[in-house]
Amino acid sequence: MKKECIAMLLAGGQGSRLYVLTSNVAKPAVPFGGKYRIIDFPLSNCTNSGIDTVGVLTQYKPLELNSYIGSGQPWDLDRLNGGVHILPPYMREGDKGTWFKGTANAIYQNIGFVDMYDPEYVVILSGDHIYKMNYDKMLEAHKAAGAACTISVLEVPWDEASRFGIMAVDGENNIVEFQEKPKQPKSNLASMGIYIFTWQKLRQALIADEADPNSSNDFGKNIIPNFLAAGEKMIAYRFDGYWKDVGTLESLWDANMDMLSRGDLDLLEDSWPIYARLSSDPPAYIGKTSLVEHSVVTQGCEITGTVKNSVLSHGARVEDGAEVHYSVLMPGVTVKRGAVVRYAILGENCQVEAGAVVGGDPESCDPEEWGITVLGPNSTIAAGEVVKPKTMLNSEHQEVSR
Amino acid sequence: MKGKLHGIIFSYEKRSGLRELTEARMPASVPFGGRYRLVDFILSSMVNAGITDVGVVLQGNYQSLLDHLGSGKDWDLSRKHGGLRLLPAFADDEIVGGVREFRGKMEALAGVRSYLEGIRQKHVVLADSDLIINIPLQDVYQAHIASGADITAVCTSNVDSDADVTFFRLDDAGRVKETLFPLRDRTGCHRSLEIYVLSKELLLKLVDDCMSHDLTSFRSAVLQAQAPSLHIQGYVWDGYAAQIRSVKEYYERSLELLDPSIRREVFPAGRPIHTKERNDASTYVDPAGVCCNCLVADGCTIEGTVENSILFRGVSVAKGAEVKDCILMQDTAVSRDAVLRHVIADKDVVVKEACTLMGTANYPMSIAKGSKV
Repeated sequence: MKKECIAMLLAGGQGSRLYVLTSNVAKPAVPFGGKYRIIDFPLSNCTNSGIDTVGVLTQYKPLELNSYIGSGQPWDLDRLNGGVHILPPYMREGDKGTWFKGTANAIYQNIGFVDMYDPEYVVILSGDHIYKMNYDKMLEAHKAAGAACTISVLEVPWDEASRFGIMAVDGENNIVEFQEKPKQPKSNLASMGIYIFTWQKLRQALIADEADPNSSNDFGKNIIPNFLAAGEKMIAYRFDGYWKDVGTLESLWDANMDMLSRGDLDLLEDSWPIYARLSSDPPAYIGKTSLVEHSVVTQGCEITGTVKNSVLSHGARVEDGAEVHYSVLMPGVTVKRGAVVRYAILGENCQVEAGAVVGGDPESCDPEEWGITVLGPNSTIAAGEVVKPKTMLNSEHQEVSR
Repeated sequence: MKGKLHGIIFSYEKRSGLRELTEARMPASVPFGGRYRLVDFILSSMVNAGITDVGVVLQGNYQSLLDHLGSGKDWDLSRKHGGLRLLPAFADDEIVGGVREFRGKMEALAGVRSYLEGIRQKHVVLADSDLIINIPLQDVYQAHIASGADITAVCTSNVDSDADVTFFRLDDAGRVKETLFPLRDRTGCHRSLEIYVLSKELLLKLVDDCMSHDLTSFRSAVLQAQAPSLHIQGYVWDGYAAQIRSVKEYYERSLELLDPSIRREVFPAGRPIHTKERNDASTYVDPAGVCCNCLVADGCTIEGTVENSILFRGVSVAKGAEVKDCILMQDTAVSRDAVLRHVIADKDVVVKEACTLMGTANYPMSIAKGSKV
C-alpha cells in the first residue's frame, strides 16, 4: 500500500464570496469553462502528474461534489490501490469528532488516512484554482533541495502583491519570510496555495499545532509560519503558467474570459488534458439565424440567437433574437426569444424568459454602479423583466447584496 | 422490464454500398451524427429500456468496433454479472477443416450456442447494428407478451429504400403473413427494421433446427419457412428509423439531423444516446468564424465558414476555408482557404491549403480515413 506521494485536496470551504453560486454546492463543484467544474483542474493535474491517490476533504454541502467525483473514473482515479477518496469529518472515540476547524485541522483529522499509504511526501491542494501544473516537477525540486516544505509561487505585479500571501526568498529560492497580505511586500512571489510537505515533518507539525489552543489550525496562518520559525528548510517553487484563484465572482468571470482568448489557458491544447465527468448530450446545434463569435459552445447547446464573447456550457439554449454578450452560461441555461444577457454569470438551469434584460455593458451606467450580474442556479427571470448590472439574485428571486 | 430481456446485436453484415466508410471498419463502427458510431443507437435503446446484458456478434474487421465498445462502461454495461459480451463467432468448416467466417445470423448464433444457453433472461431481442433509431424497446417487449406471439418483428410503413431490405405483408391483426425480398411493388407492405423479440427457448430451438438442416439465414429459414407454424407478429414503429446502407443514405440521413424535428426524435429527453467518451474542451468559434445551421461536437476550432454541415469532435476549420454541406469526422483539419462542398471526410483527414473538393448532393465525395488531400 505504500505510496511515494499522495495528494490531499481541501474542498470543504463554503466559497462564500461566490455567494448565490455556492448556495447549494461546494465551491469546487461550481461549473467552469463550458464542460468542467473547478475540481477537474487539480484532479486532472494529479493524474497527469502520476499521483494516483487523492483524498478530497469535504465539509460544506458535499452532495453534488460527492456524486460528481463518484468512483473517480473520469480522472482515471478509480484504482485497485489508492484512487480518489472522499473524506468528510467523522465521529471518533473520546473527543467525539468535530467539524474541520481549519485547513490544517482537516489534514490533522485524516492523519490516519495518510498513514495508510505511508507516503514520503504529501501534496496539499485546494479546490478553487484554475491552472495546469505538473506536481511531479515540483516534487523533484522538493527532493533535490531536501526541503521539509515546498511552496509553489507565482510572480505577480508588484502593485497587486498586497492581495496575496507573499514569500520572500534568498538567491537559492529558500523562503526567508512569509507575509500574509502585506502592506509593504518584500517580494512579488505570491503563494499559490499548493504545498508539498515531507510527510513526517508535517505530521509532527500538525500534532503540535493541534495541541496549541490559540492556533486557528490553518496552513497559511499557523503551519507555514511555524515551519519558518523552527528553521525547517522551505523552498519556493516558481511556476510561470496560467493560474487563477476563482474564489470571487469577478475572478470566476475573468477566468472564463481568459479561457476564451486561449492565450495562457488553452483548454483545446491537449498535451495536458483536463478531464471531466461528461454528459450524454448530442452535438451543439448552431442555427440558420444564429451569430456566434469569439465564444465556446458545448454539447447539447441549441443556438439560434446571437452569442458573442461568451462561454456556453452543455445544454444551454439561446433562442431566436436573443443576445448573449460577455457572459457565462452554466449547464442547462435557457435564454428565450428576444432576451438580452450582458456581462453576467447565469447559474445552472436558469431561465430567462422572452424579452427580459439581464445585466448591461460597463458603458451603460455609472462605473460605480456597474458590475457583473449574477443569477443563482434555477432562477427564472420573467418575460420583459429587467435585472440591472451588478445585481445578484438567488434562486428564489431575492436580491442578495455582496 | 428490468432483467427480462437480453440483447443481441449483429455487427457483421458487409455493405459494399458504404464504400470508403467501411474500408477500415465494420458498418457498426461507422461514425455518425457528430459524436456517435452507428451501433450506439440500438445499443443505447437497449440500455435505456433497462436491458443489462447485451451480446455483440462480431465478424470481419472488428478492431475499430472493439476499440469503440471497450468494456462497455460508457453504456453502463461493464458489470460483474452480465453487461457487455463480445462474441467473435466462427463456424466449423467440415470441408476444409478448421474455422471460417459464418454466413448468416443463424449460423452465427450456432457459433455462440453456449453463450445463448447461459442467457439469464427469458426473452431475447435481436437487432442489427446499422439502424439509426431511438425506440423504447420496453414497449416492444410489452406488446410481445400481450400478443402471445412467438416472434415480434419491428417494422415501419415507410417502404422507401434502395438497399437490400426485407419486407413484410401483414394481415389485419398485424400478423406477418409473408416475408419478401427483393420486392418491386411494395404497396401495402411494411419494411423490416430487423429487430426481433422472441423467447430464449424458441431461439435455441430455431438455432438447432437450422443447423440440423444446414440452413444459415434467419430471413429464409425462420421468417419465410416457419411463417405457417409460428405466430410472427408485426410491431409497427413509425417514429424515426434509418438503415444506413449506402454512402448516399449515410449522407442524407446525417444532414437530416440538422432538422430540429428529426433531432427531437433521435435525441429525445430522457433517452440519451451513449457513446465512447472522449475528453475535449468546448468548441471555439473565432471572431472570423461563421457557423450556420451546423451540428458541432466538442473540441472543434472554427475560424472559417461552415454551413449546413456536421462537425465531429476535434475538427478544425482554418481562416478563409469554406465548408458547405459536408460531414467532417473526428480530428479532420481543413487548412486555410480550402473549399469543400458535399464532402464526407473520414477521421484524421487533412485538407491542404487552398484545396478545392467538390462532390454533388446525390454523389457526395467520400475521403478515406487519414488521407491528405
